[in-house]
Amino acid sequence: MNLKRRRFVQTLAVATPAIAAAQQPAPSPAGGPSQTGPGGRGGFGMMEDTTKIDVTPADAVARMVTKFFNPDQFAALEKLGAIFMPTMKGAPGAIDAQAPQFLDFLLSESLPDRQKIYRTGLDGLNSQAKERFHMAFAKLSEEQAVQLLEPLKKPWTYDAPSDPVEHFLRVAKQDIRTATTNSREYVMASGGSGGGGRRGGGGTGLYWLSLDQA
Amino acid sequence: MAIPEYDVLIVGSGASGGMAAYTLTKRGLKCLLLEAGPSVDFAKQRVMKPVYELPYRGLGKPGKLPHVLQANEFNANQWVDEQQVPYTHDPKTPYNWVRVRMVGGKSLFWARMSFRLSDYEFKAKDHDGFGENWPISHADLAPFYSRVEPIFRVSGRKEGLAQLPDGDFIPDESPDSEATKTFAASAEKRGIPVTKIRRSLGKGAWASSFNLLLPDALTTGNLTIVPNAVAREISIDKVTGKVTGVHFIERGSRREMHAKAKAVVVGASCLESTRLLLNSKIANSSGVLGHYLCDQFYMNSSVVAIIPELKNGAGARGGGGYIPRFRNLRKDEKHNFIRGYALDFNTGGTPDPRYFGSWGEQLRKDLESVRGAAFSCTSMGEALPRYENKVTIDTSVVDAYGIPVLHVDCKYTDNEYNMAKDAVDTIGEVCHDAGWEVLNKNPKFYNPGYSIHEVGTCRMGDDPKKSVLNKWNQSHDIKNLFVVDGSSFVTAGSQNPTMTILSLSMRASEYLADEAQKGNV
Repeated sequence: MNLKRRRFVQTLAVATPAIAAAQQPAPSPAGGPSQTGPGGRGGFGMMEDTTKIDVTPADAVARMVTKFFNPDQFAALEKLGAIFMPTMKGAPGAIDAQAPQFLDFLLSESLPDRQKIYRTGLDGLNSQAKERFHMAFAKLSEEQAVQLLEPLKKPWTYDAPSDPVEHFLRVAKQDIRTATTNSREYVMASGGSGGGGRRGGGGTGLYWLSLDQA
Repeated sequence: MAIPEYDVLIVGSGASGGMAAYTLTKRGLKCLLLEAGPSVDFAKQRVMKPVYELPYRGLGKPGKLPHVLQANEFNANQWVDEQQVPYTHDPKTPYNWVRVRMVGGKSLFWARMSFRLSDYEFKAKDHDGFGENWPISHADLAPFYSRVEPIFRVSGRKEGLAQLPDGDFIPDESPDSEATKTFAASAEKRGIPVTKIRRSLGKGAWASSFNLLLPDALTTGNLTIVPNAVAREISIDKVTGKVTGVHFIERGSRREMHAKAKAVVVGASCLESTRLLLNSKIANSSGVLGHYLCDQFYMNSSVVAIIPELKNGAGARGGGGYIPRFRNLRKDEKHNFIRGYALDFNTGGTPDPRYFGSWGEQLRKDLESVRGAAFSCTSMGEALPRYENKVTIDTSVVDAYGIPVLHVDCKYTDNEYNMAKDAVDTIGEVCHDAGWEVLNKNPKFYNPGYSIHEVGTCRMGDDPKKSVLNKWNQSHDIKNLFVVDGSSFVTAGSQNPTMTILSLSMRASEYLADEAQKGNV
């Protein structure tokens, strides 16, 4: 059933509950879900009720708890997020979009090679900051911090840079951008069009349900 | 219930299996088609979702489909799950095997690029001495291309190029954009032709066997489609040596079933067809079954350039085109590779942020200034058919249905690397000559398999010692067995293969119908 028709049917059912109630339930095939089971008339599988209740997504009421990066790594990642994707032209930045927290979650589920890129890169960034400015990356002024981002100005190559910090910076610049532009905050603020993902996507799309039950 | 008798059992419902069903049923043969995946109700199987509601914000579940770079978090479930149906390869030589199992197969999702092969491919050995010729020429296949193109409604412009034969097109009379004209003029100075894209328009949302072939085949009353039937082994009559049917596993219940037919047509996709034959231990007296795996190397964004006329919101509309193979068409050309490559290009996009050394507000401004002003192209070069690029059965691993999996052993060589370098250097120069600013040139391509144009491994030929199939896609060893998909290719060419797969399948199916009529199978 197409969406328009489904919406029409729902509207009809809400507007005229008497008609729906008067309809006989469809016969149940042998072995099919019971129509007079514990769910009451209609049973669990045959519910015709169209009541809708408003619900709220978790992100609107709670913050993600970080668990993958250590505090020094996470502070450096937040600093990078603020530099790479600040609030621009009213669009939420990486911090508003909780991009660092999201990346902590993503990396916690990632394969070891990806985890290594991030951990080594963030540790390396902190070491460089301590060497040159005697403090952690997160404590640097923006002027100081961007001096450590100079390697990003090299031309892009398909092969990853051999220097681990350089490699990390390239990956993080892209991931922070995607994690920000595909966030609820960003999409809502930009009127529904997201920024696109590493593997396409962005905005709103047709999501394929699992074929296991098809 | 009496089990009906079938004239032909077809394995696979994509371009090749669908065309076999279309052709054979119209000729009055009773066909049973087995498809490994479900018959999908697309309205129910897909739901609209905003990207932020996906668990991984569109970046995809880590490790979900490591070999399918085409997958994203929205469409991850449309591809074959690599855990359910794995394959193996040496970690040092990865292969990207991209698969779809549902009625319609990959023909539901292809990019619809619709080209013919030319005699530069069919008679490639005559031209440069490498490998083998096909047992057919363009003249043999042309009548079938001419019947397939109207079914798929291929749009194109007649160009009169020997390396890219014209087809029976729906004429594409759209004017070229200014950017395309500028590029074509610059290319022409180097003798490089630029054509319109040739594309299957299809009907409605698809140009697929799902909507263009199977419905007509069903209308004949001669076709039975069974989804969720995972073919495991082709059965043989030990006395006659002929095939008798197919053992399959029902996907949901995992029941083992056997269906009988007087002939079997395999169109399960290149590597699945070869896997089925290898697991059945048949049709390999030549010893070349599984060998000569090839495809086109692919690289998106091979050359990315900025078109100054389109900068700062000039707003001119972009356009695209196709650059057919132009290298090694003359025998006296000297390059550090044989064969050639093609490219498709588009203008009017915005370059990826990775090409800019900036970030934050500066990156936003940089991107804003070039919005809609980019040129980018995809290069696709012929990977040579080599004996050592092969698939075998890995007996140590079985899939979710208990079927031994494939081991893929395939790598590119200097011929492909040199070709890719020539492609980006040459197109970079064309852009430069056009007055465009080249932002990036990338001669590195993805792993073999990425193009989803894998062909070979069950190749055709006149010599039964060097090929698995004869010129009719019929097994040299077993006359009631046909393989009608890309596995039958002798060379890959630089063109997208679907039109050739469809035409070969139609041609083979007509031959099978003729032979069946004569009582020869």
